[in-house]
Amino acid sequence: MINSDLIVSIFCLLFGAVIYYVTRDLSYLGGVFINYLLVVIGFLSVVVFIKGIVKPEKIVFFRDMAERNSVVTGIVILAIYLSFMPFAGFLPSSYVFYAVFNLYLGEEPLSRKNIIQSTLLSAVVVTVFYLIFYHLLQVPLPEGSWFESDMG
Amino acid sequence: MFDSVFIGLEQVFQLQNLTFLFFGVFMGIIFGALPGLTATMGLALLVPFTFTMAPSTGLIMLAGIYVGAMYGDSIPAILINTPGTPAAIATTFDGFPLSQKGMAQHGLVAAAFSSSYGSLTANVVLALAAPPLAIASLMFGPPEYFWLAIFGLTIISTISSGSIFKDLLAGTLGLMLSTIGMAPIGGDVRLTFGFTDLQGGVALIVALIGFFCLPEILNSVIGQRKRTYTAVTVKPSFKVIREVIVDLFKQPVLMLRSSAIGTVIGFAPGAGGNIASMVSYNEAARWDKHPEEFGKGTIKGVAASEAANSAMAPGSLIPLLTLGIPGSPPAAVILGALMLHGLRPGAELFTTHADITFSFIMGLLVAAFLVTIIGSFGSFFFARIINIPSRFLAPGILFMTVLGSYAIRNSMLDVWIMFVFGIIGYISSKLKFHPAPIVLGLILGPFAEEGLVQSMLAGKASGSVVGYMVFRPISLVLISMCVLSALWPVFASWRAKKRQALVVEGGAND
Repeated sequence: MINSDLIVSIFCLLFGAVIYYVTRDLSYLGGVFINYLLVVIGFLSVVVFIKGIVKPEKIVFFRDMAERNSVVTGIVILAIYLSFMPFAGFLPSSYVFYAVFNLYLGEEPLSRKNIIQSTLLSAVVVTVFYLIFYHLLQVPLPEGSWFESDMG
Repeated sequence: MFDSVFIGLEQVFQLQNLTFLFFGVFMGIIFGALPGLTATMGLALLVPFTFTMAPSTGLIMLAGIYVGAMYGDSIPAILINTPGTPAAIATTFDGFPLSQKGMAQHGLVAAAFSSSYGSLTANVVLALAAPPLAIASLMFGPPEYFWLAIFGLTIISTISSGSIFKDLLAGTLGLMLSTIGMAPIGGDVRLTFGFTDLQGGVALIVALIGFFCLPEILNSVIGQRKRTYTAVTVKPSFKVIREVIVDLFKQPVLMLRSSAIGTVIGFAPGAGGNIASMVSYNEAARWDKHPEEFGKGTIKGVAASEAANSAMAPGSLIPLLTLGIPGSPPAAVILGALMLHGLRPGAELFTTHADITFSFIMGLLVAAFLVTIIGSFGSFFFARIINIPSRFLAPGILFMTVLGSYAIRNSMLDVWIMFVFGIIGYISSKLKFHPAPIVLGLILGPFAEEGLVQSMLAGKASGSVVGYMVFRPISLVLISMCVLSALWPVFASWRAKKRQALVVEGGAND
């Protein structure tokens, strides 16, 4: 069990301290609103901290290890996708991400049928949205620096 | 004037114009529904197509896009807890819980009907009383915007389900996040940590996707491995449409109040649908006989939010058509379209060019009806989306969150901000430190800061900051409403305890 009030209040106090440090040189007009907010953050953090000692709100963060592992894996897959997009380009990275995530969320064991199904679905969904955004709405999606250097 | 109204209606009901209106509403719904695309973007994209059209035809199509988008943003808000635009943030509070109860169609129909209702009401006001209301809109100065933002923040007390102090703290953190970027007065660059892309601040839609959509997927789909978004399979039916519309007809006060709030906030230049929907939701929860139902999935919550944000659209056109002041970003694009067709805002629009102006206003009016029709029939399709197994739906939603975040400013930094906000939102939800107040603060922060700093400057020049900020008619009304709103939960709790005591006393006497 985690004391949610203590974690939140300590995080907010630290957050306030960082904001105070990086905004201390602002002009009066640029900093006045931030300064008022810092006072409010400080006051409310102390109130929540005291509540965390007197009447704490206890929570269970993950129900079990499986939930924790699933969430962490999901975040890692998404982070890898975002990291690779500027290099591999929007289309290739999105095809792989969609198919991999689809397979990851599936409950059945990995089979040829699942892989083909995920790949086809990925090809259709990603291509349709790519065509809408890139060609119709003229959104300049990342081309991928690897391919740019090849062409250059 | 009635002649112009009839000429306008005649124009709208020409087959060609009606077709373009239908197309506009349809496109508007799509632009509103896809996170990352906005009504402003849809209007800007389709304005060039109106060059070759007759002015009334072009403006009728734009009217359809604007009205359609105001409804469209509620679809992802209800189905996947992701507002299509910031104006639909309050729609998520009850829309998504409705979906989770297997009542997605109820939410979608309520959103469509109340959007139409709000839009219709505001259109009637626009047609009948635009010139005098435009003068009233000029009474909104920096102090009024400041107090309006503070009033919007009082919604925290309504949506708070746990510790009010933690929710207030979250709201203040949101206000702090809103200060990222260039200061509105003074031009200081703040909290950008060297990222030049952040000088324009955090894009609202990026924060909305991050704080609302990603945590839901991480928690339900990835963490708990739910097979579908909802435990109950949604079975759309015509009976639901009838039931919801009849239920909402039985709520005339709620509907009128929400529409009035949307219209009034709409004609205050710059305030927009974000504030309108939040203020309306807050008032709906406060004055309802069963406030405990709000936040747990009631069509009244969806209706309050949607009626207000849709009423905002015609409301924002009041200062535009009469004074040339756009009340919202989409209104600014419509101003451009008017100018392109050789129409200048002002009295001439209602005299010399009354036929075109009223074609546009009637276009907005008929578009509102179309929203109910398209929304009600569309609910059969939209509601079934959440029946799709999570393993297929979730990767698509995640992919859309990335695409939507990127498309706002064509920046990977925005995508990373969405990702970080998503993780923060997930952790904070687990810690019972709800992200909704953070987003409220982020939305209302710019209004509060600009209002405060400008008021301080003007107040110093006039001799008294307090006098300038407080002793103005609209400010006094807003301050009274802020106080009432802040104290209301205390009063409501006291009233509930008193009732309970009376019941216990009655039981003991029996």
